[in-house]
Amino acid sequence: MVHVQGPWSPLLGRLSMGAIPDNPIITGAFIFAAIFGVLALAYVTYARKWVYLWREWLTTVDHKKIGVMYILIGLVMLFRGFIDALMMRTQQLLGDGLHSAGYLGATHGYLVPYHFDQVYSAHGTIMILFAATPILVGIMNIIVPLQIGARDMAFPYLNALGLWLTTVGAALIMLSLFLGDFSHAGWIGLTPLTELAYSPGVGTDYWMWSIQIASVGTTLGAANLIATIIKMRAPGMTWSRLPIFTWTALSTNIIALTSFPVLAVALGLLGADRYFGTHFFTAGMGGNLMLYSNLFWIWGHPEVYFVILPAFGMMSEIIPTFSEKALFGYITMVAASFAIAGVSWAVWLHHFFTMGAGPDVNTFFSIATMMVGIPTGVKVFNWAFTIYRGRSRFDTPMMWALGALFMLLLGGLTGMMLAMPPINYSVHNSVFVVAHFHTMLMVVVYGILGAVSYWFPKVFGFKLNERLGKRFFWYFTAGTVLVFIPMYASGFMGMTRRLDYLSNPHLFPFEVAEELGIGLYLVSVYYFVAQLFVSVRDRNKYPVGADAWGTGRTLEWITPSPVPFYNFAVTPRTHARDELVWRREQGLEHVSVKHYEDILMPKNTAVPLIIGALTLALGFGLVWRIWWLTDLSFAAIIVTVILRSFVKDTDYTVGGKEVAGIEKGLQARMKGAQASGLPSGGVGGLRPQESNS
Amino acid sequence: MIRNRIGLRARRAALLLPVMLLTGCSSHKLANQFVLFRPSGPLSGADLHFTILDVGVMLGIIIPTAIITIYFLLHYRKTNTTAAYDPHWSHSNVIELIVWAIPLLTVMMLGYYSYKGTAAVDPYNPGLLKAASKQPVLDVDVVTTDWQWLFIYPKQHIATANQLVIPVGTVVHFHMTSATVVNDFYIPRLAGMIDIMPGMRTKQVLMADKIGHYQGLSANFSGAGFSWMRFKTEVVSASQFNDWTKEVARSPLHMNYAQFNVFARPTKNVQGKTFEYSQVSDRLFHQVIKGVMMGRVYTTPLPPPGAA
Repeated sequence: MVHVQGPWSPLLGRLSMGAIPDNPIITGAFIFAAIFGVLALAYVTYARKWVYLWREWLTTVDHKKIGVMYILIGLVMLFRGFIDALMMRTQQLLGDGLHSAGYLGATHGYLVPYHFDQVYSAHGTIMILFAATPILVGIMNIIVPLQIGARDMAFPYLNALGLWLTTVGAALIMLSLFLGDFSHAGWIGLTPLTELAYSPGVGTDYWMWSIQIASVGTTLGAANLIATIIKMRAPGMTWSRLPIFTWTALSTNIIALTSFPVLAVALGLLGADRYFGTHFFTAGMGGNLMLYSNLFWIWGHPEVYFVILPAFGMMSEIIPTFSEKALFGYITMVAASFAIAGVSWAVWLHHFFTMGAGPDVNTFFSIATMMVGIPTGVKVFNWAFTIYRGRSRFDTPMMWALGALFMLLLGGLTGMMLAMPPINYSVHNSVFVVAHFHTMLMVVVYGILGAVSYWFPKVFGFKLNERLGKRFFWYFTAGTVLVFIPMYASGFMGMTRRLDYLSNPHLFPFEVAEELGIGLYLVSVYYFVAQLFVSVRDRNKYPVGADAWGTGRTLEWITPSPVPFYNFAVTPRTHARDELVWRREQGLEHVSVKHYEDILMPKNTAVPLIIGALTLALGFGLVWRIWWLTDLSFAAIIVTVILRSFVKDTDYTVGGKEVAGIEKGLQARMKGAQASGLPSGGVGGLRPQESNS
Repeated sequence: MIRNRIGLRARRAALLLPVMLLTGCSSHKLANQFVLFRPSGPLSGADLHFTILDVGVMLGIIIPTAIITIYFLLHYRKTNTTAAYDPHWSHSNVIELIVWAIPLLTVMMLGYYSYKGTAAVDPYNPGLLKAASKQPVLDVDVVTTDWQWLFIYPKQHIATANQLVIPVGTVVHFHMTSATVVNDFYIPRLAGMIDIMPGMRTKQVLMADKIGHYQGLSANFSGAGFSWMRFKTEVVSASQFNDWTKEVARSPLHMNYAQFNVFARPTKNVQGKTFEYSQVSDRLFHQVIKGVMMGRVYTTPLPPPGAA
């Protein structure tokens, strides 16, 4: 194996006492995490919920619960990434100017460069891959089967596996806080900075393996979603009646399925350099560092369309519902989604126009990049014409969707600027670029927050508190404006990115504004938590019916709220696009069922959880180069997968009478009856059986 | 009820007030800081020209779109019973034609500007700045290390560290390489960025129109000393430049490849020191590239145990 700096032993690899950081900030983070973890474990024990937790959540294959867990992980990591952002803003504020003071051993500010570099690398990696992606995958997981009239995803066991692999990736990043360090080379991991010579520690290995493992989960999930949409649509759900969110889910997962393997190769080759001493991306000995940039961004650009297309789909669901009008230009919206997905494959070089490919190559990629603006612009106009001659209401989900639309206008403007090489050469790697992509990611975040508040009543059976939700929205928006508008300005002052020390004292007013902005974000976090707390506390006061907002249009709004674990007691037949609107107009909104058939459902299984635990051991062993641990856990994973493949009994039947009973109970609840306790069995209704492995 | 809503709206607007305060910062000193609006050379001038064009075209689309959207939202809100309501209208060939045509035409126009603009600033356009100046072309070799800049003047056999001096109105050809990791060569008021890559040679061409002091920096993250990786750029008159080169040629410090390897050890240039070297071989640049291609690395040391 390749030679590494620092100690190495056969038993512990590179792990030694020196791996534990001796830093007050990290010690504080550890104490916080430890207290939180102990309290959580204590609560579960005190409430005697371990069996419930195991049966209903840890071994579930129910797509709704898996989706909820994806979203929970995403929200926790979003919070961690937000703390990283807070630390970065504060460092740049305190470290502005030659005479700025230094604290805690830093020359300027309070973070030494090596620590600051890890903070911004973690921020980027977490936000894109462990906050945005899991939340989006979670929402698609919950909603897509409901929108197409299916009872679950095509491959429930695979679905759970994807969840636990993503969790392992997130766990590795969290572990890197307390054992060793994280990568200092950015979320992109450009070479040769990430080669062993210039990143000698374990940080880059943590970064590499957490992404590799989570990417396997995302790829499997993509295959699952595509198969579900193609094969599991209910009778009558033709392609032209498919809800627009499901169409965007399809296009986005086609991107994921085809692009994530490229990332696996890029990181795999880098891993070969770092573990076997090969020279794929080194500066010398025949390596080509530009190849890494190309491979990474061939994945990286489709990846950002992977996160934004579902957001567009969410906006396309919310705006018609709160305008009480059909989406304008359904066919062109679908075509535009696939056009965006297709063209996204041809633009990756715009991330490194300055690499010197020459005017012809740069012009090609510039024009291709601008071409993506065409279908995107069409979408904006179509949303506007959906509102035209509608009846707009401004509930919280609609506010988020509209906020996303305006973010898209600003992000699109700055994107078209960056697409032009003469402009790009002067603002590449400046905070202007940072402000641009954060504005675009705000389209995603606004879409997500809109979707969460929109579909929350469907999943949990009660609405989120509207007053606190609006406060959350406004403080969040004020924070966004105050952080990123000054950032655009300081980009034109020549401020570049990833600086832990700013030598230009004239940046100070902008830094102050941005710090105030992130303070506003902090206030919005308070309102987010308050909203959840108050909504859960008051959940029995305002139960919702099947159509929680009164003007739902698609199939998920005909199920009871919360949705029972089998989704539809009777598989629905679809007659039109916007099926619920059609039923309302035909007077068929309340259909009574004479006879409930038996329903076949997949059994719970602990295998995905076990594979997840083994993968955590594998990842840990790879990072610290503990070879016996990697060999053992890898072998155990293979054995587990093979053993599981021999299990034939993976389904069970729910009797028709039982379904009838559950439906009756849910109808009664929706009429204002009290429901009690934590959600169980499909986030609503009771499930009678046990799991197997 | 209405008073409450106005109060609420006023409070919301107040949250955005700090942004508006920023527009009051129009002192001359602060305005001068927007260096991208103060080009001092034809390349930066071209960058600004195309920025204004692009923003102008895009604003011409985005502002009307935003206004129309806001108008629709307000006019067609549910509480406005006078507005028309057409729940099933969701298709119009005319509108489709317009909404596809507007972006298409815009992209065609901007694509043309992109083609022209790239040719005007890309250093790999062979005709760039050809015959832009009557002065002879000046060659400068640039080598970046962790985390300093070395500027070699091969014809004059001198070199400077963390400081660049060039004559005004002269086309300068830069050949650049890195001894360690990727950096970006960037002097905001003179030219756009170009990557500097180890084991490879990239080039930049620029000309400065005005005498003065400029800031240069690396715009691509390269490690712990990155924040201090800046260099002063002095644009001086041709005669001052000649005097300067003669003065540096008398410097007691020399630079050969062995001394370069000492210079290239990981160094954070916190004090912003500059150095001048004489008796510099015009082969030094080539030796650095060759060394890196053969596998030479200037290793970053492992952080001490217990580091964050």
